[in-house]
Amino acid sequence: MKDPDSEAQLPLPSLARESGAQVIKLPASPNTVTANRPTANKASRRTPARRIRPNKLWYALFLPQLTNLAPSQQKKYLNQLAGHMQSVSSNVSFHPQALACEVRSGLKYFGGIDTIHQKLKKLLEEQLRQWDLDDNFLYAASPTISGSLLLARSGHNALVYRKENLRSALGQLPTDVLHLDREQGRRLHNMGVRYLGDIWRLPSDGVRKRFGSKFVDQLDKALGKAPEPTCNYVPPPAFITSYDLPYELENLDRVLPIVDELLAQLCDFLRRRDLSTSHLILSLLHEKRDSTAVSIGLRQASRSQQHLMLLLETHFSQLSIPAPIIAIKIEVIKFDSFIAESNSLLKEAVPRLSRRNDSSLVQFMEQLQARLGNNHIKFVRSVAQHCPEHASAQLDYSDESNRRNSIGKVKKVSNNPRPLWLLQDPVLLHINKGRLFYRKPIAILSGPERIETHWWSGADVCRDYYVARESSGSRLWIYQEKGSVKKWYLHGIFA
Amino acid sequence: MHDGGSSDIDELLQDNPALWRGCDMAGQGTTGRSTGFTQLDAILPGRGWPEKGLMEVVTPHWGMGELQLLIPLMRSVVEQGKWILWISPPYLLYAPALVQAGINTEQVLVVKLDTSCKDALWSMEKALQTENCGLVLAWQNWLPTKVLRRLQLAADTGDTLGVLFKHHDSEHSPSPIRLKIGDSYSENAGFNESEVTVIKARGNFRSLSANINLYQQA
Repeated sequence: MKDPDSEAQLPLPSLARESGAQVIKLPASPNTVTANRPTANKASRRTPARRIRPNKLWYALFLPQLTNLAPSQQKKYLNQLAGHMQSVSSNVSFHPQALACEVRSGLKYFGGIDTIHQKLKKLLEEQLRQWDLDDNFLYAASPTISGSLLLARSGHNALVYRKENLRSALGQLPTDVLHLDREQGRRLHNMGVRYLGDIWRLPSDGVRKRFGSKFVDQLDKALGKAPEPTCNYVPPPAFITSYDLPYELENLDRVLPIVDELLAQLCDFLRRRDLSTSHLILSLLHEKRDSTAVSIGLRQASRSQQHLMLLLETHFSQLSIPAPIIAIKIEVIKFDSFIAESNSLLKEAVPRLSRRNDSSLVQFMEQLQARLGNNHIKFVRSVAQHCPEHASAQLDYSDESNRRNSIGKVKKVSNNPRPLWLLQDPVLLHINKGRLFYRKPIAILSGPERIETHWWSGADVCRDYYVARESSGSRLWIYQEKGSVKKWYLHGIFA
Repeated sequence: MHDGGSSDIDELLQDNPALWRGCDMAGQGTTGRSTGFTQLDAILPGRGWPEKGLMEVVTPHWGMGELQLLIPLMRSVVEQGKWILWISPPYLLYAPALVQAGINTEQVLVVKLDTSCKDALWSMEKALQTENCGLVLAWQNWLPTKVLRRLQLAADTGDTLGVLFKHHDSEHSPSPIRLKIGDSYSENAGFNESEVTVIKARGNFRSLSANINLYQQA
C-alpha cells in the first residue's frame, strides 16, 4: 500500500487504540450545543490531549465495474460483499458503488491494515470472479469515510492514519474524484481549479454560494469537519439451534418436549426481532447415518409456538426414523416480517366470521397439508371455457398465486344445467333395443345443448348435451358426439 | 264444526312445548336448520337439519340426488362464512354447478379421492373439530361403530355437521340421523320425485318418508 505520510505508519501509541472506547455515544441532551458534533469534539472537552488522535479508520473500496449494472443488481452485489466485509469489521457502510468499513478497532487483532487488506482482497476477488466481473477494486483507508472514498476513487490506494494529514493527502487529488455533474465540473475547470487543494484556497463563502452547501459539506466531511452519516449493513437474521441428547432416543414422543423447548427459543428469537417464519427444517441426527429432515412450510407465516408444535406433531405421527436420534437441530430457512392481526377498538356488533376465525382455519389447513401432502388438497374454480371438461379447474392448495388470481373475478357460467359430478373420462353408453343404457334404461328429459368448441386446436369438440334420467332415479348428463360416429357418452351426474 | 274443534285442540297441544306427544315428534321444537324442502322439514325433528352432529345418507349408488338434497344447507353454510370440506368424493366436483347453485367456490375445499382411508378419516375428524368448517361431506362405505362415535364426538365439539354418504344402511349406527334416498317411482309426478326416508332421527320414534322433487333447479 502506498503511503503518503510515512510517519503515520509508526506503530500507534496504545492511547490511540484505546480511543475506540470513546465511541460510546451519550444521549444528546437538548442544552448541549455540540450534540451532533463528532465524538472527537466531545472527547476533546474531557481530555484535550486526545483531540489530535484520530479515533476511526475507514477502509473504503470502490468498484468501478458496478457502474454499468442496474441499481437493484448493484445493491444485491454490494450486500453480498458487505457480508464478506463483516469478517473484518462489525461496522460496514454502503455508498454508491463502494463500501466502507471501520478497521481501527480491529487493527491489533488482525495485526495491521495490510493483513486486513490481504484477507479482504482474497475474499472479494473470489466473489467478483464468481460473478464474472473484473476482480480489481480500488481501495484506500483514512479517518473519514468520504476521505477514504475520494482517495479510493482517485486510484491512489492510499493510507492516511491521522486526520491532520488528510488535507494534504486529499489536496493532491484531481477534482474528477468528486463525481460532479458536468455543469459544476465545467465551472470549476473554468475557474482554474484542478485539484481539491485549489478549492480549499478559495473563500469558503463564495464556494458555498456558487456550488451549494452539498458540495462544501462533502469536502468538510472528507476532512472530518462535519459529521458523516453511515448507511450500515445489517446482516440478515439467521437461526440455527441444536440440542445434543444425553442418550440416544428411539421414541419420537420423548423427543417432543425437547422440540418444544427449541421452538420456544425460536419463537423468542422471532418475537425479539419482530419476525415470523414460513419455512423451517427440523433435523433429527443419527449416528453414522444421514439425518432425517422434517421440512415445515407454512402458508401464513407464524411465530406461534403452539401452532408450530402442532404441525410438528402431525409430521411426527407419520414419521419413521431409521436409527436412534442423537441430536435435534432446527434451522429457519425463510423469515417473514410479522403481521399482527388488528382488532377494532369498539366491539363490532356482528364480527365477520371469516375474519374472526381465519387463523384457526389456516391452522387447520396447514395441519391438513402437513398430513396429506400438497397435492391431495384441492380448490375448485370455475373457468370461463365452453368445453365442459375445462370449465372447472382443480387448483393445488399451495398454488397461492393461482388462487389469488381467481378470487374476486366475476364468473359467468352457462345458464344451462350443469351436473355436480363430472366423470374424469366420459363413459360410453350402449344402446339396447333402441334405448340408451347405463346401469338401467335412460330416458332423455331435456336438451339438446350444442357445445362446439376447440375446432382450432385439432381436438374438435362437437357435442349435443342432454339431461337424462335413469330409471333408478339418478339424473345424468349425457352427450352424443356429432360427426361421423354418433356415439353416446355419460359425462356427468347431477347427484 | 267437529273438524274445527279437533284442529283447535291440535293447535293448543302443539303450542305447549311441555307436552310430549308420541305421534307428532316431528313438530317438537324449532332448533333445526331448514332443509329447503317443506315435506322433509315436516318429518324431521326440529323441523330441519340438526346444527351439529353426524348424518348418514344411504343411497343404492352414488348420484341419486343426495347432493341436491343438501344444496340448500350448503348455501346457508357458505353464507355464514364457513367452509365446506369434501373428503374423497367419488367423482370430480364440477365448479360451474356450484356457482349455479349459489355456492361460493372459494369456501370449498376438496380432499382427493386417492387419499388413504386413514388419512381421510383423520381429516374428517380434524375438520369436524374446526369451527370454521360448517359442513364436512365424506364418502365412506363402511365404518366401524367406534369410528362413528369418534366422529360424532368431534362434530359435537366443533359445532359442525358431518355427512357420511354410504351404500348400505347399518342398523346399529350411532349417528343421530340416517336418511335413505330411494328410487323415484311415482309415475304421476313424472318421475320427478324421489322418496326420502328418515330411517332414524334422534327424536323420531319411527321411520317416516316423503316424496320430494330434488331437482328443483335442473
